[in-house]
Amino acid sequence: MAGVRTPREKWTNRTAIAAVFLALIIMLTPIYWITATAFKPRNLATTIPPTVFFTPEVSPFVKLFTKRSQLREQPTQEEYESAPWWEKMVVDGGEKVVRNRKTGEVRSSGYSDRFKNSLIVSIISTVVAVCMGTLTAYGFSRFKVKGEDDWMFFILSTRMLPPVVVAIPMFLMYRVVGLNDTHLGLIILYTAFNLSFAVWIMKGFIDEIPKEYEEAALVDGYTRMQAFFKVVLPEALTGMAATAVFCFITAWNEYAFALIMTNRNAQTAPPYIPSQVGSGLPDWTVIAAGTLLFLIPVAIFTFLLRNHLLRGMSFGAIRK
Amino acid sequence: MAQIEMKNVQKFFGQNQVLKDLHLTIENGEFVVMLGQSGGGKTTALRAIAGLETVTSGKILIDGKEVQDRKAADRDIAFVFQSFSLYPHMTVRENIAFPLRAVRMDAAERNRAVNETAETLQIAQHLDRKPSALSGGDMQRVAIGRALVRRPQALLMDEPLGVLDSKLREQMRAELKRLHIARGSTSVYVTHDQIEAMSLADRMVILHDGVLQQVGAPDEIYLKPSNLFVAKFVGSPVMNVVDVQIDGTRVALKGVETDFSFGEGMLAGLSKPGAGIALGLRPEAILLSHEKTKGYSEAVTTNIEPLGSHDIVDVRLGEAILRVRTASGFVGGEGQTVWVGLDTAQAHFFDNQTELNLRGAA
Ligand SMILES: Nc1ncnc2c1ncn2[C@@H]1O[C@H](COP(=O)(O)OP(=O)(O)OP(=O)(O)O)[C@@H](O)[C@H]1O
Ligand SMILES: [Mg+2]
Repeated sequence: MAGVRTPREKWTNRTAIAAVFLALIIMLTPIYWITATAFKPRNLATTIPPTVFFTPEVSPFVKLFTKRSQLREQPTQEEYESAPWWEKMVVDGGEKVVRNRKTGEVRSSGYSDRFKNSLIVSIISTVVAVCMGTLTAYGFSRFKVKGEDDWMFFILSTRMLPPVVVAIPMFLMYRVVGLNDTHLGLIILYTAFNLSFAVWIMKGFIDEIPKEYEEAALVDGYTRMQAFFKVVLPEALTGMAATAVFCFITAWNEYAFALIMTNRNAQTAPPYIPSQVGSGLPDWTVIAAGTLLFLIPVAIFTFLLRNHLLRGMSFGAIRK
Repeated sequence: MAQIEMKNVQKFFGQNQVLKDLHLTIENGEFVVMLGQSGGGKTTALRAIAGLETVTSGKILIDGKEVQDRKAADRDIAFVFQSFSLYPHMTVRENIAFPLRAVRMDAAERNRAVNETAETLQIAQHLDRKPSALSGGDMQRVAIGRALVRRPQALLMDEPLGVLDSKLREQMRAELKRLHIARGSTSVYVTHDQIEAMSLADRMVILHDGVLQQVGAPDEIYLKPSNLFVAKFVGSPVMNVVDVQIDGTRVALKGVETDFSFGEGMLAGLSKPGAGIALGLRPEAILLSHEKTKGYSEAVTTNIEPLGSHDIVDVRLGEAILRVRTASGFVGGEGQTVWVGLDTAQAHFFDNQTELNLRGAA
């Protein structure tokens, strides 16, 4: 953006900045809404017009992690006084914390388990998809594969069908082989979704890496495998990071299959969060709190890989 | 150091035959330059020697041992790529040390070898930088260093100076020559720059459409081109080639009144019916005179290229345009009448049909 700017250009520039800001505001509004709702007292969550000023509370988060039931009889003054601060919040909301009958331990809601499931399934399927995708792409990029174009098209074509279309048959097949409601089952599914994508993206990246790099290593006394790990892989990391972000987001946000294929053991967060709408009266603050926490891993992951991501996106353009 | 032989080497890419029955012996310690037009198969030949490309048929021998079925890693040959292909994620030191790591040389010895190579190539001060921080010439030095560090049997270079600017090329050319003399490694060098080829080569190999055209020392190739392709390809400006009629000791050009006369016996056995004969004359084999001279023919200048040390003058002689090398300023301008003579000792005759030099190759 160096050089002389005419007044006209200055105005164009200002207009552009204004437009970007407007777009930003529109896009950030839902995030703001979720964040605000996650800290609202329950009675302010659904007011019309929306409540903008309120004293933030953490009660939605407390409720998110505990199992609760309707408060049938008010606790005694004594009981109320002796309860910890977070339990008071639940009681103030007209509910009580469910405890284990024998040990008196507080029963947790399913959220943290679902969250853990989401992490396990997303991380493993992402790693597997990116690794397999990179190797496959390397093969297609460097070796003569008979009918290469047809194979690549075939790989892509697995994404042309909306996955939900095959959900019922998949469900039946999974039930037969016992993959229903298992981590492995979801990992296989998500890896399969992401693999075709990973192959295509990585093929582009690996095509960009001059094959002379490996050839130099080959004449210098390395095997093809060593050349791949020592020379190609370091160069492909950027692309792998970019691919990983996309795969992770897809797996993390996947809803339909998670809803159909899992119910308790392996259920991920996406089908769990809305299921809370149905238990008693919907408590939107709890749902907002669950959603807000759910956004964080993707944000962190993307943030950590942001440099790679940016370089990855402009890879083809900048290289000679 | 090693001798490299190619015997009956053929290479097909699908239907496309890229190397056609190649026979070539490169002697121990020799610097051989492969020269040819784009697509001539130079790179393919080099890659076949290195083991980066399998040959369709034929044999490749290194020191008498057949290697055509061996992996690149087992041939003990180094390759310098046109693109340098230095590993961007490694420092210069790591780049140069990379081939030594493959053979698991111990660290102290490795360091010594790297430092020594860097000294020779004058890149010691860059050892801890990344390749991207180097100039083109230094990248090139690193690439050569990486090739030389493990003292390979032979050094193959595919247009290693191709991406450098002309000044740097000239300088690197001299350095390569010096390095070759110091190390004496068997080297095969590919280029399509004939000046580079002439100045570096012990012997030159001219490759065209996958067919070996001529092998010989640079002056041999220049003075005794074996066929029309070599004659036209080597030398700048390009050799003049005109169709002629031969009669006894006289050579007639179309549209020229005076025949050129050659010495007794110089044209023996050259008169040939059929497609006829082409006369090849390098720009310095044509003599110009301002005055009418015996045995010279009248011609008109059509264009002058002043090049400082000499001029290239185009003259119209009969139906042909000849390019002539003269002292600078010898001809004042276009449209002048001059008299053209030949240095008969430097005349070449080619069969128009077979394109072969009728006096035989060197
Ligand atoms: N991997 C390949 N697959 C198919 N055809 C190839 C391959 N490599 C080279 N060729 C073909 O072989 C022919 C010779 O190529 P080669 O690269 O050996 O020529 P070259 O003499 O090195 O040319 P240049 O001066 O342009 O580098 C060309 O027609 C080229 O298209
Ligand atoms: Mg080439």
